Order: sequence, then structure tokens, then C-alpha cells
Amino acid sequence: MSDQVYTLRIQRNTRRDDGTMDTKWDEFQVKATPLTPVLNLLEDVKGNQDGSLTFRQSCRSAICGSCAMRIGGKTRLACKTQIGEVVDENNTVQITAQQNSPVIKDLAVDITKFFSKVHQIKPFLQEGSESAEEVDDTAFDQVNHVTQCIMCACCYSDCTMAEVSDEFVGPAALAKAFRFISDPREGKKSDRLKVLSNDHGIWSCARCTMCVAVCPKDVKPMEAIVKLRTRAMDAGNMDNYGAKHAQAFHGDITSSGSLNEALILNRTLGVVGALGEMGAALHLAKKGKIPSPFPHKIENLDEVQAIYNELEKNPLDVETKAENAVPE
Amino acid sequence: MTMNFAYYTGCAAQQTQKEADWAAEAVCDELGIKLHRMNKASCCGAVSLRETKPAFALAVAARIFSQAEEMGMDIATICNTCLQTLSQANNRLKNDDDLLDDVNEVLKKSGVAPYKGTIKVKHLAWVMVDEVETDLLKSKITKPLNGLRVAPFYGCHTLRPEEIFEADAGEKAKHLDTLIELMGGNPVSYDGHDKCCGFHVMLSDAQEMRQMVVKNTGSAKDAGADVMITPCTLCDMAMGSYQGIAEKSTGKKVGLPEMNFAQLLGCAMGIDEKKLGINRLHISPRPQLTARGVL
Repeated sequence: MSDQVYTLRIQRNTRRDDGTMDTKWDEFQVKATPLTPVLNLLEDVKGNQDGSLTFRQSCRSAICGSCAMRIGGKTRLACKTQIGEVVDENNTVQITAQQNSPVIKDLAVDITKFFSKVHQIKPFLQEGSESAEEVDDTAFDQVNHVTQCIMCACCYSDCTMAEVSDEFVGPAALAKAFRFISDPREGKKSDRLKVLSNDHGIWSCARCTMCVAVCPKDVKPMEAIVKLRTRAMDAGNMDNYGAKHAQAFHGDITSSGSLNEALILNRTLGVVGALGEMGAALHLAKKGKIPSPFPHKIENLDEVQAIYNELEKNPLDVETKAENAVPE
Repeated sequence: MTMNFAYYTGCAAQQTQKEADWAAEAVCDELGIKLHRMNKASCCGAVSLRETKPAFALAVAARIFSQAEEMGMDIATICNTCLQTLSQANNRLKNDDDLLDDVNEVLKKSGVAPYKGTIKVKHLAWVMVDEVETDLLKSKITKPLNGLRVAPFYGCHTLRPEEIFEADAGEKAKHLDTLIELMGGNPVSYDGHDKCCGFHVMLSDAQEMRQMVVKNTGSAKDAGADVMITPCTLCDMAMGSYQGIAEKSTGKKVGLPEMNFAQLLGCAMGIDEKKLGINRLHISPRPQLTARGVL
């Protein structure tokens, strides 16, 4: 493939003495084929055009996770991203530092906050009464879903909840938590599920699925969060808004077929919490947006009830499993 | 040729967001698309049902698909979360024969015809762009937007995960931008276009949700948007109905009119605004639409 001229529009950040950030944009022209990794181009710029350009990199093989940065509006590994995939119609791409972590200089961020979230979920096996005595060949088909994570923080950088919440544990840490909870050797599964059910844990994920889209290793953190929620509820952790809200659905679907929007507030927040939301309810009511407390019953509701009863009697395991968890 | 769809409105369009349903019907009527209501279909359960009762969630979706097969039509919906929930289930059922057999056994025992795996789940906004003849759509635009700057807010559940959808999704999605251009408007490019409206954490993380609303609408307004459109009844609720509440609790004023895509399309088609429920919007787009001669 022949060389083309690409423009890298790079955000340059320098911290001033008073702690504020001086931000400007520099443009660099580089020659490359569409298949050239963005990392090579950054090295080209640093080596031949501006030695002060600062970014992190190490393995060049999408294993170390060092070179995660925002490239063309999404956080990606510079080593794994080919320039041709991300440039606009003018052969230009914008490159900035990761979001949700403080910038040190140019494209390098301080990763302390991200790793403190990972440490928060205790990323190691713990001894305890819930360790399995025996481990069979299917025991790791859930663990293997998330062990590919390389802690690059792409998901944390683009997480729409992390953007508005410093407290949220975040997708990578929750995926890591799932890795331990689904490990048969883990001794304190119940303790972990209880802690994760607290504020800013599993129930604070807004389910925007951004982490699934940007993960360079196909870890699907949000799928792990969904499974954690199921396990947390199955283990009896119901005393939180998220679980109460989720529990409302199968009741409504089996009793009328539709969701009862009028009652869902009450069931999720309780009477006092619902009263606190009265301002919001009145605001909606101004435009006639009052849900009926008597939702329309669907036709053949008995079929839905029969499905529910059948599955309660004969449960069906439909959880996705990692393929080739254990090689034949 | 008349297009027929099994029309899955979603719960919100039957209750608080009725205007999206009215507008969808009015627009489809103009274009000769027949929306057939799925009277037997239940709530899709959203991700919540997948979390509490994963197998029941798949069977509920399969029952909805089975009804669409009975009707002989693909499904069209106007709720992103229904779209994602049903597409996710459909993707699994179509690609895993053993799973489909297991779920069909449950359906059969419950008196429901088994799902053959023939249904496509579509968003009505995709239908407008991908299936309606461009010339036909253009011929119905009697009140073009005259350069109105419109911010498309796609909503997460029509974008990700890309591989489950029957249309271009993820970073490739551009159906709202295309639709805005077809109506004679200028699509506004802004940072929040593919982010989360916060609807699903409205109760568990109320403050965070309100910050999302203000950030998304604020970034659209800063980029010069006159109005915002979404293809989703839940995004409508968050970005439109809740915008005033979010402004109050964050102390940031935005004031960006937000409407369902079908409502704006209806305006551009010259459909009577009463039929489109424009008066049910919390921040009226009337001044902006009047200024461009749309209303």
C-alpha cells in the first residue's frame, strides 16, 4: 500500500506551577500507509519533529496496555489502532489523553485513580469457607471471560458513569471482581457480592455498553456486571435501589404483561424516597405525563405466566460461557 | 408498495411518552407504512429481566418473535432499550441452535408456537433511512427545516454492542444525521451524541444521571444546536422531560428543546402539531421551528 500524508492533531498538556493545565493543539504531518499503527506515527513525530511530545508505550503488542489514549473520539491502544481506521475525510485524526484520570503531560495520565479502583475490589483469591474442594473442567468458563483484561483503562476512560462520578468503581474493576467471584477457588464470594451491591458498585453502571465497544481485548465488562447483578440478587442482596428496581420487572410482566410505571417508583425508592421524587413527578405531570396505575393487560397473558411457571419449575441455564475454556 | 411491520412500541410510549407513538403513526401513515400493533406482546423486560431471570427474559423475547412470525412481519420499535434487549435475545437465539431448541421447548409447553428464527428487529428510524425510498421521503417534506441546526442524540441502546443490530451501529451509525439532512436541517456534531442519557440510573444514581443530562444537552447547545432529537422514548424522558429538573439540581442552565425524531419528521411533513403531541414537550421547540418556517 502506498504512503499517504496524515495529519495528527495532538492535544499538548503542560501543568503550570499553580497546578492548572496549559492546553494547546499541535498538528504534525506524517507519511504512512493506512495500515500503520498510530503508535509508530507518534514515535515518528517524537523522533523527527518534536522530541518533547510525551506519551506512554511499551510492548507494541496490545499486551501491556500502556499506550491507551483517545484517538478519533474513542479510547484505543495506539499500538493496535491503524491510522486508516480512524482518520476523517481530510486524513486527520485528533489524539488526546485518556479521560477520567488526571493528565501529567501531553498524552500521559496518572493511573493511580484507576488502579485504586482495581485494588478496592481485592484483586486476589481469598481463603474462606466458600472455596470449592474440587474443580472440574467447566469451572473456569466464566473466569476465562474476563482474564484477557490487560488493565489498559480504555473502558474506564470512556465510561459514561465515571465521567460524572469519581466514586463509581468502574468497568475494569468490576470485570476483575467477576473474575474472582466466578472462580471456584474463591473463599469469600458472598462477602464480595455484598460489598459490590453498595453504592457506586454494580448497580451504578448505566448500561451504556461503551466499555464493551471500546475494550481492545473483547472482555465485555458490562456483560460481567450484568452477571454480577444476577449473582448478587441470587445471594440475597436485595436492599438497594438497583436490585429493587430489577425485581419489579418479572412481577409486572407476569401480572399484566406491561411495566407498571406508576408503581415502579414506589417499589424502587419506597414511600419516603418516592415522596422525595414528588417534585420530579409534578414536573412530568405538568405535561400530562402521568402513567396509569392500571396498565393495559396484554392478550394471552396466561402464556407468559405459563412460561414463567415452567422456568421456575425447570430452570434453564442460559448464561454465556467462554468458548474453549479448557482446550480439548 | 405498502410496508408492514409488527409494531412494538415499548412500555414508555404507551404511558408517559405517548407523543412518540402518535408521531410514529402519523409519519408512517404519510409514507404508506402500516404499523400493526402487537397486542399479545409483553414488556421486553429491558436489561433488568436479563439480570433477575435470564432464561425467562430470553423466552419472553422468543414469544414476542413468535407472534411476529405469526403476523408474517419484521418488528419495528421506537424504544432503544427494547431494540437492544430484543436484538440481543434474537442474536443469541439465531446463532445458538441448542439454546433455541431449549427455549422453544418452554414455549411449546406454554401453548406458544416455537420461534423459527426468521424475524429481524428494526428501529423505525432505520426504516425511514434504509427502507423508505429517498425520493418518496423527500416528496413528503413539505415544511423543510431550512438549515435548522439539529443535534442527533443516538442513545446507547441503538449503537452498542454493534454486532447484534440489523443496521450500521457503533461508530458507523449515521441514520439520524442522514434523516436530519433529508429533512433539510443541519446535523450538529458534538461530543455527547453517542453517550448515555442516564435513564437507567435515574433512581439509583439520581445526581449522576442529572449531570449526564446537563453534559449531553450542554455540549449540543455549545456546538450550536437549536433542537435535539432522539430515536428513543427513554432518552426523550431523560434529555427532555428531566432537563429542567437536571438544570435545577446541577445549577447549570441549558434550555435545549428536545423532541422525538418522529415528531420533528412529522413537523417537516407538515403534519398538524396536535397529532404529534408537540404541546407535551417540556421545552417547546416552537420558537426555533417557527423561526425557520417549519411551524
